[in-house]
Amino acid sequence: MSPETPSGQIAPRSAVKRRQVLKGLAGGVAIFAWPTPGLALPEDATRAIQALFGDRPLQEGRVVVELPKLSENGYSVAMAIDVDSPMTENDHVSRIAVFAEENPLPDVVRFELGPRAGRASIKTRIRLGASQRIRAVAQMNDGSLWTSYAFTVVTLAACVVQG
Amino acid sequence: MTIRIAIPSQAKVGEIIEIRTLIQHPMETGFRRDEYGRAIPRDILERFSCLYNGEIVFEATLFPAVTANPYLTFCTRATESGTLVFRWTDQRGEVFEETADLEVV
Amino acid sequence: MTNSATITRRQFIVGASAAGIGLSLGVLPRGASAAAGPDEVNAWVRIATDDTVTIRIARSEMGQGTLTGLAQLVAEELECDWNRVTWEFPTPGQNLARERVWKDFSTGGSNGLRGSQQYVREGGAAARIMLIGAAAEAWGVSASECSARDSVITHGPSGRTTTFGKVAVAAARQPVPQNVTLKDPSTWHTAGKPKMRLDTQDKLTGKLVYGADLRFDGMLLASIMDCPVKGGKLVSFDADAIKDMPGVKKVLAVKTSVGTGLGTDGVAVVADTWWRAHSALKALPIEWDFGPNANFSDADVTRLLESGLDADEAFRGNWAGDMDAAFASAEQMVESVYKCPSQSHAPMEPMNATALVTADKCEVWCPTQNGESALAAAAEASGLPIEKCDVHKTLLGGGFGRRGAPDYVHQVVAIAKAFPGTPIKLQWSREEDQKHGFYHPTTMAKLRGSLDADGKLTGLHMRISGQSILAALIPQALVNGADLATFQGVVKPGLSPSMDQHQISYDFPNLLVDHAMRNPPIRPGFWRGVNVNQNAIYLESFMDELAHAAGRDPLEFRLAHMEKNPKGAAVLKAVAERSGWGSEDGKARGLATMYAFGSYVAACAEVRVVDGKLKIDRIVAATDCGTAVNPQQIQAQVEGSFVYGLSAMLYGEITYKDGQVQQDNFHTYPSMRIAEMPLVEAIVMPSGGFFGGVGEPTIAVAAPAVLNALFAATGKRIRSIPLKDADLTA
Repeated sequence: MSPETPSGQIAPRSAVKRRQVLKGLAGGVAIFAWPTPGLALPEDATRAIQALFGDRPLQEGRVVVELPKLSENGYSVAMAIDVDSPMTENDHVSRIAVFAEENPLPDVVRFELGPRAGRASIKTRIRLGASQRIRAVAQMNDGSLWTSYAFTVVTLAACVVQG
Repeated sequence: MTIRIAIPSQAKVGEIIEIRTLIQHPMETGFRRDEYGRAIPRDILERFSCLYNGEIVFEATLFPAVTANPYLTFCTRATESGTLVFRWTDQRGEVFEETADLEVV
Repeated sequence: MTNSATITRRQFIVGASAAGIGLSLGVLPRGASAAAGPDEVNAWVRIATDDTVTIRIARSEMGQGTLTGLAQLVAEELECDWNRVTWEFPTPGQNLARERVWKDFSTGGSNGLRGSQQYVREGGAAARIMLIGAAAEAWGVSASECSARDSVITHGPSGRTTTFGKVAVAAARQPVPQNVTLKDPSTWHTAGKPKMRLDTQDKLTGKLVYGADLRFDGMLLASIMDCPVKGGKLVSFDADAIKDMPGVKKVLAVKTSVGTGLGTDGVAVVADTWWRAHSALKALPIEWDFGPNANFSDADVTRLLESGLDADEAFRGNWAGDMDAAFASAEQMVESVYKCPSQSHAPMEPMNATALVTADKCEVWCPTQNGESALAAAAEASGLPIEKCDVHKTLLGGGFGRRGAPDYVHQVVAIAKAFPGTPIKLQWSREEDQKHGFYHPTTMAKLRGSLDADGKLTGLHMRISGQSILAALIPQALVNGADLATFQGVVKPGLSPSMDQHQISYDFPNLLVDHAMRNPPIRPGFWRGVNVNQNAIYLESFMDELAHAAGRDPLEFRLAHMEKNPKGAAVLKAVAERSGWGSEDGKARGLATMYAFGSYVAACAEVRVVDGKLKIDRIVAATDCGTAVNPQQIQAQVEGSFVYGLSAMLYGEITYKDGQVQQDNFHTYPSMRIAEMPLVEAIVMPSGGFFGGVGEPTIAVAAPAVLNALFAATGKRIRSIPLKDADLTA
């Protein structure tokens, strides 16, 4: 008999690191108790940021990410992003990318804009798999990168099996 | 496919206007499972563009973390009267479009 | 936080007063002033000048005793006089405003104590250090020369004393100590002891208020009916037909969007009394579109589940050795198929919530297992910023996992928005509660075991087929598609950090536990014990079957696979010894054991079958939860677990016909009666060094212990619950 499916394989713990075992899992407030987010970015989010922006340094500031402090289940969370920029030909935001540190996929949404936008102010609704930081990185026309984040607690059904 | 666009019908030259858009779409993440435990395939809109008299003024790349019925609010500077085109492209390349006219005075 | 800003039980209206008439308070309690009052030593502790100590409790109280246990832990470190301790719930809004100083409000997963014991103890210890510091400063002595006990601070060298109440205000200004050292549980005098519950007396006098008791001046009452078929829609209703019925104020469609497939689409009637609202709702002509599940029935569930029993594709939750090879060389194979139904939480108090919405504020009063989840729901439903919303928790007339979902909060806020400035109480009818639950997931299992010539178990395959809670409620928590929670109680050690609290009790040489996910259109949820319950029935019944097939004693047969699990073996031996297992007294006994929610549990049942009817005479149950914070409460929880677990085994079954739940009240969904309740002897045997859960693990061993005893009594193996329709004649 062959009870396994390729998609159903779960690697034994000894073979992989914890983070890899849990990959695709959204951090699961539900089933996994995560340590309080520290300053370091989780691996996946770091990789996603580097994939898009390379190794250039991120500077804290100029970006404001707004999220409600609590979300019931993360299915639909209002997010507002504002970047402090005059949005002129010579000084504007050219790209904004949003990353979720504990979602199954770190990429959330990206925006490309320029002086025609007039104001770097965007609102959308996103899905959050777990309590986490949502980080936005804004690239200016001079290539500099600015970043900030907001933390949201995703409350979930109570009787879940927390660790 | 329902698309809703909220945009002022008139604006002054140079005025920054806010545009609100919403398109009906499941944005199926690919993480959900069906009755038989099989993965429900991902089905998402991947790209959004706003063209102002043919020129791209705002674009977005969407991932599964964007909610069903994606809602997007952004700004543009009113430059001249004309037509704005709002264009979504799904993962198979299918395009959904809506237009709105803006009178600039 | 000041007194007036805090929801105290005295500010609520007692619905069940002696006269049976709700007294009106006249003023609605206003919450969410998170300012620290002058008597607040720190977030966890307020101390009044008369030495009354008020301990803040973030978790919900639904009868499980968490409130008292948490207060004991704080009081132990605080060294206060337990006789002067009272409690209060901070609101989730206050929690947010104070950077979540009370952390998580979620009360489930048997986590109330074990999930917060560390930081509440630290809170108590920090407050003690600050109180001593304030006294020492006033005396001009070193704090290290002072000690506290029973709310009295003593300066050792001089013998000078003062009380907490006298220095509390000064204490709040003391530096907040970092890295406090906690007491070793072996030195505890308040925690670890069978202290009387802090809420019992107020419950007896009717002072404590449940959501269903709430009364506010000018309040209107609502009854609601959601589409009776999952996935169906409200098409229309004829409000004119009932508009002249007495007391009717409004009929409104209530559509809530609570995530994927969890939204509600129904209609509510608001009137001046609940009975009038409900009578009008029943008389209201409503047209539904039942949608794709209009013809769904139980036979569909069975077909779906059966399709998974031998399916090629399944997720693995535990494996060892080479099961196929063991089967190939078996002397004897044993194979059985088991089934467990959907079950309803059926709390005594049906879902309810009260809301007051104005243009700039939304307040909700409700019984909830997760105040923060209810707060988020209130904000989302009202459209107001979360800072302008708050939730005031009441006690819960039963939670069992059901009240972790705030669907009823979405509903009441949606209704209250139509009545700005008027408090609206939404009270579900019992029927609504039964038909719109988050049901215990239904599953089947096929177990196969191989025995060698010596009667040794050489291989075991446990195939679970059935519903995934996470796939329905939290799909993002699936791991490459697998719902690891479906393996609770039979999990491979180390499979995932969060699942080690549910790992399998036995060490089998060749093993496979896998899950073919089958998701019928039934809304599943977390039901006390969650997936441990059916997994315990499957594994522990089958272990009994294997032992009998091997001609071995079921206790000895189990223990042979528990060498690496000495604590599990200890609880099993404890119940065997106390119950008289193996004695030649003619009594029919059955065993079951489990490791779940971080605790080791076992039960031994003694049963008889009299005139074809099951009589459960006695249960001996043992629990090793590591650390016992209140042994009396643990005993009560263990005893209560048998009321709940055995009710589920005897009667708990939700069935479907034409897409609708068939059991709409206690006459069709009964609970065990007092006369049916066995004597329960609870052995609380904490071995120290860890904190295990108490509220849930014992549920799981109730049914298999009885089913195994039933086999001992009759030779009949029952593999499908509930037992209500089973033929038990030997």
